[in-house]
Amino acid sequence: MPQANPYVPLPVKVTDIVIETEDRTIKTFAMEFLGERFEYSCGQFAEVFVPGKGEAPFGMASSPMSDGLEFTVSKVGSVTSAMHDLEVGQQIGVRGPFGNGFPMTRLEGRNLVLIGGGFGFTTLRSLINYALHPRNRSRFDGLKVIYGARTPGMLLYKPELDAWGKQAGISLHLTIDRETPGWDKLVGFVPAVTERVAPDPDNAVAVVCGPPVMIKYTLPVLRKLGFSPDQVLLSLEMKMRCGIGQCGRCNIGNKYVCRDGPVFSLAELSSLPDEF
Amino acid sequence: MRKYARIERDALPSHLDAWIERYGVFAPMMRDGVRRFGVLSAGSDAQPGPWLTKVPVKEMFLPQTECLYRYRRGTNGGLEIETPQDPARLRLIFGVRPCDARALTLLDHVFRSTDRPDPYYCARRESTILVGIGCSEPRSVCFCTSVGGSPFGEEGLDVLLVETGGDYVAKALTLKGEALIAEMPEAAPEDTETLIAEARRHAEASMGDAVLTAGLKERLDSGFDAPLWDRIHEPCIGCGVCAFLCPTCHCFDLAHEADTRSVAGDAGRCVRGWDTCMFSLFTRQASGVNPRPSGKERMRQRLMHKFRYFVENYGEAACVGCGRCIANCPTACDIRETIARIDDAAEADSHAQET
Amino acid sequence: MNDRSEEIRRVAKRLLAEGKADVVIGFRDSRLPLRATPHFARTPAEADQLVWGLGCTSNLAKYLLDREECVAVVAKGCDVRAIVATVKENQVNRDRVTIIGVPCAGVVSWQKLEAVLNGRDLTEAIQDGDTLVLRGREFEQRVAISDLLQDACRTCTVHEPVVCDVRIASSAPAGGRTDEFADIREFEALSPDERWEWFRREFSRCIRCYACRNACPACYCEQCFVDSTNPEWIGKGNDLTDTLIFHIVRAFHSAGRCVDCGACERACPMGIDLRRLTRKVQKDVKELFGADAGVDPDSPPALAVFRPDDPEDFTW
Repeated sequence: MPQANPYVPLPVKVTDIVIETEDRTIKTFAMEFLGERFEYSCGQFAEVFVPGKGEAPFGMASSPMSDGLEFTVSKVGSVTSAMHDLEVGQQIGVRGPFGNGFPMTRLEGRNLVLIGGGFGFTTLRSLINYALHPRNRSRFDGLKVIYGARTPGMLLYKPELDAWGKQAGISLHLTIDRETPGWDKLVGFVPAVTERVAPDPDNAVAVVCGPPVMIKYTLPVLRKLGFSPDQVLLSLEMKMRCGIGQCGRCNIGNKYVCRDGPVFSLAELSSLPDEF
Repeated sequence: MRKYARIERDALPSHLDAWIERYGVFAPMMRDGVRRFGVLSAGSDAQPGPWLTKVPVKEMFLPQTECLYRYRRGTNGGLEIETPQDPARLRLIFGVRPCDARALTLLDHVFRSTDRPDPYYCARRESTILVGIGCSEPRSVCFCTSVGGSPFGEEGLDVLLVETGGDYVAKALTLKGEALIAEMPEAAPEDTETLIAEARRHAEASMGDAVLTAGLKERLDSGFDAPLWDRIHEPCIGCGVCAFLCPTCHCFDLAHEADTRSVAGDAGRCVRGWDTCMFSLFTRQASGVNPRPSGKERMRQRLMHKFRYFVENYGEAACVGCGRCIANCPTACDIRETIARIDDAAEADSHAQET
Repeated sequence: MNDRSEEIRRVAKRLLAEGKADVVIGFRDSRLPLRATPHFARTPAEADQLVWGLGCTSNLAKYLLDREECVAVVAKGCDVRAIVATVKENQVNRDRVTIIGVPCAGVVSWQKLEAVLNGRDLTEAIQDGDTLVLRGREFEQRVAISDLLQDACRTCTVHEPVVCDVRIASSAPAGGRTDEFADIREFEALSPDERWEWFRREFSRCIRCYACRNACPACYCEQCFVDSTNPEWIGKGNDLTDTLIFHIVRAFHSAGRCVDCGACERACPMGIDLRRLTRKVQKDVKELFGADAGVDPDSPPALAVFRPDDPEDFTW
């Protein structure tokens, strides 16, 4: 159940920090609630509050089946820089959960085709861990994942990627931009790799998360492969503030990205004004 | 409990004084040269009007600047959050115009009747009694009747006062309102309703040309890319006057301010403040990309939000026809004219399609 | 309609027909008495809506910024000073602007009008010589035009525009400037406490709408300092400290650049006496550097020039 005052951050403690990338610009923070807590679903996000700095929105990187929260943070501004300076044991605040999350009922019984690029992979990781959980796996049919980063060192969640690569029940396709010594998997941008992997649209739902340029070139590939606009889900990124559809910042058409999104199907997006 | 009462003109101050003893009473008054709602300390100070305050009654529910919480680091490094106390005393706002009161019912859609109600707004709404005064002389900028309202509208009010030959009749519209007028001399229900209906009919008839709002939503549905939008925004300088003085506009920003007297991160507050889609940076993202890069997109957004998106979500337009945007715009932009131009453009379009 | 409106329309149509301008920026009537709204005429039919009168208050120089088109602009003396000033700052290309100069005896302040009306609704205003006849549903009142003029118009010395490409004929009062800084001197003579009290009272009603900044032709920064979030110089709400810093810094940013057109004051919905700050800064610049912005097209902006004999008794 969401918290009574949606503006007040709940105290959380940082329990673990993992440096994800070789250039150290992306870290994953694990946190535990210290008092009041909230439950969330895959694809939702939360506003993380760093006292003295402010708030920033992050998609849930952890699966709802795990205890606590995980957020993967790229160091790009003042709040994220402050987060990167945090130490295990420090207390900050989190408010949420916000957004509609992935429409789980529409995913059940379907073949999931999860396509992620760079930092956009964080919420897909939540969905993958959720789907692979023994209690949930049978609710979904196939699970195909296409994930690309610039270099091997920029791939997130490396231990999990290793495990998934060896696991039954998930077909993982990793790619990097350019040939690199020691890399024995795919090479090429995500849209091109998607075309090569050629996921079958039959009874499938594709979820695409990544930078705008990646999405722009991946969508035509999916269309060509036979995915209808109803079968393609995207997670929009917009400037947000309140998270609850009241401040107006993320309003597009009659929707609020923070409340009616951030997950939209391609069919839904095409009926909205081109303001994102 | 009774619903109708009569107030002699000379008795009004003493009724106000009685209310002042029980509640925090606010009324329109000149404050530093601007007519706004302020604390009424004596019934004899009240000037019923009805006045069109410069700033609508919305500022009593969504203040321009509001502290949502303060935070502090405790001795063990813990994060302590403190929210402001709920108002201890009930408030009574006197002299509210029906348009401003109706606007609150529109704001309720966003802040109250939602699965994530805003506790600050809701606390103020629940602890406030609204006493309105019917507009016997609508102004030339008023167009409430074109957007579903009336100079004698009752939506959002607890009591409606209607002036009659120097005195007032009062109609209670809610339980709070009935309790308020319980001590007053009774008025006959039928006679009072007839009087109010006549005053309403007279006032509505005196209003100028109606604004062409019928079918406006449909015209906006199909007119997102109309060339009209390239022209309509031209005089607009992109300030916040229209939005800030509008009874229904409610966009805001959140700012986290660190207390400069403390070590960084040790103490501070979260402040909510008015913002508007008309400001150029409202939707600009950290990367520099702005989905609404020019005045054209921003003015279109404001009109679309008010007359199309809000209607899609809540069935009513987010405009009460108070005319403040028209009277205060630095460049005299006129929303009535904009609506008429949208209508003209749609007509021209349909004629072109027919021929 | 008056002669000047007719002449402006003729000139506009000629410029459009000759291809000398893609758009003529002027004014047309609004639905409010005594208020005209900026108009962008691109066709003869649109040019026929151009008017001139007491309600032509906006400084149209603002609309020259960031504009690719070839423009003709109907400009009164203060607007022309603003054009000269922004040309000097390389924000406006003089070669792509045709200035249609209109000698002007002053325009009406709608805030003063609002105060005179005190809540009454104005339905009509008719000029009768030096007087305005104000009419409403149940009143008629005669007011001297001079009582309703913008304060900036009272001390104006550029009733005749300093430069123009086309002049709309009419005689304008020879502006003889009385001591334009008399009230600033009075203000300077107040004690710091008294001055603070004036600040506090005047600016506590500021709603941070930025109408003043957005109406000002000299305010053209891509990102105004108030919108900076990193660092966040001031809060965006109406805390008095934040509000005062906004206005004081804006006044300082206008030093040597403000032409005292009064657009800021005209735009303010709360009727704040903004010019007291900007004119204090103007007075200082005039006394220290002998400069008046936007009057001489050839002299550089005052604070962009460094001379060996610049006063520096305040710096050590």
